[in-house]
Amino acid sequence: MKKIDIACVIDDDPIFVFGIKKIMELIDFCKNLMVFSDGEEALNNLKAIISANEKLPDVILLDLNMPILDGWQFLEEFVKIPCKKKIIIYIVSSSVDPQDVLRAKSFELVSDYIVKPVTVEKLKEVLRDLGKVA
Amino acid sequence: MKSKQKDKVDAVLNEQENYLKKELYDLIKKDSWLFDFLQEASLDGLWFWDLDAPENEWMNSKFWTTLGYDPDQMPHTSSSWQDIIFPEDLKDVYANFAKHSKDPSYPYDQVVRYRHKLGHTVWIRCRGIILRDEHGKPRKMLGAHTDITDIKKKEEELRLNSAFFEQVIDGTDMGTWQWNVKTGEAIFNERWAEIIGYTLEELEPISIDTWMKHAEPKDLERSNKLLQDHFAGKTPVYECEARMFHKNGSHVWVLDKGKVVSWDEEGNPEWVVGSHQEITEQKKSYERNRLFIQQAPTAIAMFDEKMKYLAASQEWFNVFDLKNEEIIGRTHYDVLPKIAKKWKKSHQQCLKGNVVKNSEERIEKTNGSIQWLSWEFRPWLTDDNRVGGIIIHASDITKIKREEELKSLLAVAEDQNKRLRNFAHIVSHNLKSHSGNFEMLLDLWIQENPEIENDEIIQLFKTASENLAETIVHLNEVVLINTSVNENLVGLNLNEAMSKAIESVSAIAIESEVVIYNLIQPDVYVLGVSAYLDSILLNLITNGIKYSDKQRNSYISLSTQIEEDFVILEVTDNGLGIDLKKHRSKLFGMYKTFHHNKDARGIGLFITKNQVEAIGGQIEVESEVNQGTTFKIYLQHEKN
Repeated sequence: MKKIDIACVIDDDPIFVFGIKKIMELIDFCKNLMVFSDGEEALNNLKAIISANEKLPDVILLDLNMPILDGWQFLEEFVKIPCKKKIIIYIVSSSVDPQDVLRAKSFELVSDYIVKPVTVEKLKEVLRDLGKVA
Repeated sequence: MKSKQKDKVDAVLNEQENYLKKELYDLIKKDSWLFDFLQEASLDGLWFWDLDAPENEWMNSKFWTTLGYDPDQMPHTSSSWQDIIFPEDLKDVYANFAKHSKDPSYPYDQVVRYRHKLGHTVWIRCRGIILRDEHGKPRKMLGAHTDITDIKKKEEELRLNSAFFEQVIDGTDMGTWQWNVKTGEAIFNERWAEIIGYTLEELEPISIDTWMKHAEPKDLERSNKLLQDHFAGKTPVYECEARMFHKNGSHVWVLDKGKVVSWDEEGNPEWVVGSHQEITEQKKSYERNRLFIQQAPTAIAMFDEKMKYLAASQEWFNVFDLKNEEIIGRTHYDVLPKIAKKWKKSHQQCLKGNVVKNSEERIEKTNGSIQWLSWEFRPWLTDDNRVGGIIIHASDITKIKREEELKSLLAVAEDQNKRLRNFAHIVSHNLKSHSGNFEMLLDLWIQENPEIENDEIIQLFKTASENLAETIVHLNEVVLINTSVNENLVGLNLNEAMSKAIESVSAIAIESEVVIYNLIQPDVYVLGVSAYLDSILLNLITNGIKYSDKQRNSYISLSTQIEEDFVILEVTDNGLGIDLKKHRSKLFGMYKTFHHNKDARGIGLFITKNQVEAIGGQIEVESEVNQGTTFKIYLQHEKN
């Protein structure tokens, strides 16, 4: 199982961010972690990284319900950015609305939909899947 | 000449005569002034004619004054009167004279016309007698004039009058009748008989019974009542519309009118005269109008100027809750006191010729319910352009009003539905993320401190957190069930869906020692939404497992049968069963919704029922306590 280089969490909920950080540490999920508290902040920073030709994250855990630019708006903008590197995106949301699930599937970049709460087990599974992809 | 007359007069006198008569006759013989008086006072002319010299004729002065001439100016010649007598009457005079001179028993007595000096006609009764000699030869002639102009005038007036009335009656096609109330004698004219298809001759013998026999008994009864009213002086004339039997078997309508013209000494009516006017056509057209109004699909009523009903439609009875009572002839105020009183001013407005309308009026009915009416009053005009009454047209718009109310209610419901969706959103994104955080943090806490995993409080915390999460999921599901998915239904293989559901519960099935038999035909497709169907099947099987009887070899059997457009899925278990007598009404309700997890039956079945209905199906249940339960789920059959 190959360890992830850079993971990115986009979520406005500090408790969730605290929790996921803890779980990631516990299972040794990644070497580096980027955290953005809303879609806009994430988009701006990721754009900057691309133009500076710096290292992009391998995986993004994206929340849907956020202020300023929500998860959907982020996705719509993000797919427009030309980028050589393949970034795997997971939607991590508390919504169980089937419409949200269906909509998530309509984005090619999105590989899965994880319903909160995120547990150690779920994250381990993500790690396994990423290993397969790699 | 004189002696001849004397002889004659004497001849009529005899001993038995009254002494005064004798004395008068004697006096007349002696004194000529008495004779003068008589001829002046009692006659309008006296003449004495010499037949041997016919030109000589003596006329007294009254003769001339009656005709407007001065006697002194007039010669005593026969030609003087022959010039002013009407020539055609003169011929009669000659003819009568000839007959009388030939035959003394033939009376010389005729009415002749003279031209008065002023030009008008004077009617004279002229009588005369020829005085003959011993050989019977006519020698002289004595005559007397009586002026009958006045009588003639009256007679002429009368003749004109009766001709006039006859003409009027003929012109109006009126049948006439005269009836002696006391004797029953009756006189009808020809037209009276003709109205009912007969001649008078055919109807003989004629009496009041002729009328009774030919009138419709019902109308006769009414007629008699109205006659009595007239006899009693309650009405100035008798008037009644009545039907009579025509010779051809049909009914004819007559307007029967009459009036008492003579009374006996005791004040009882004796002669009554009247008329019959045929009004069959008017009646028919009135009947047609009445029928037209009666059959009108809306509430219409026609009133006369006293607001008496002339006609009303059946719908009128419906709108105003009138039973099938007789309202024709009664007033609006009598039939519908409450509403008519309310409209009284408008009625009066309308009777003055105005159209009055109200597009919606709220009416409180006697039973307390509310009725909304839209109405219009219109005056109707008679042939002579007078307002004959009004026509009321009303429609019950209560339904429309209700629909309007319903629409506004629908808007409220839609609004609430929107808020409910917002609520679902809040539950999904906010409540759920908080409860998720709880779970996650608790999970982490245990991971970091494995020694506390068996701590009782931590255990309870975990259960509480899990229950909260589950409750939120259920709540979310309830809100998200969309009843308008019908158009998005797709064909789903029932057996495959069931196998998937069975697989996901296999672990707990084994644990609870429940055997599941999937006897569903492999090629049955139903219409549905995948997520709903999965949820329905999972719920039913989980239920069966949860409520299995530990004392028995438990099983759940799944089978299908096809009935018309539906696939009936039967889910049968031999579990604990449900007391349907107690719980049927609550079974699919949202009761005990958030009860302790192990027994939380309410919400699952509630969701199941709603999901089944959302995909156009139905769910039924049969159950016996300690025997088992069978759920029958009707799903739309997809026949490919």
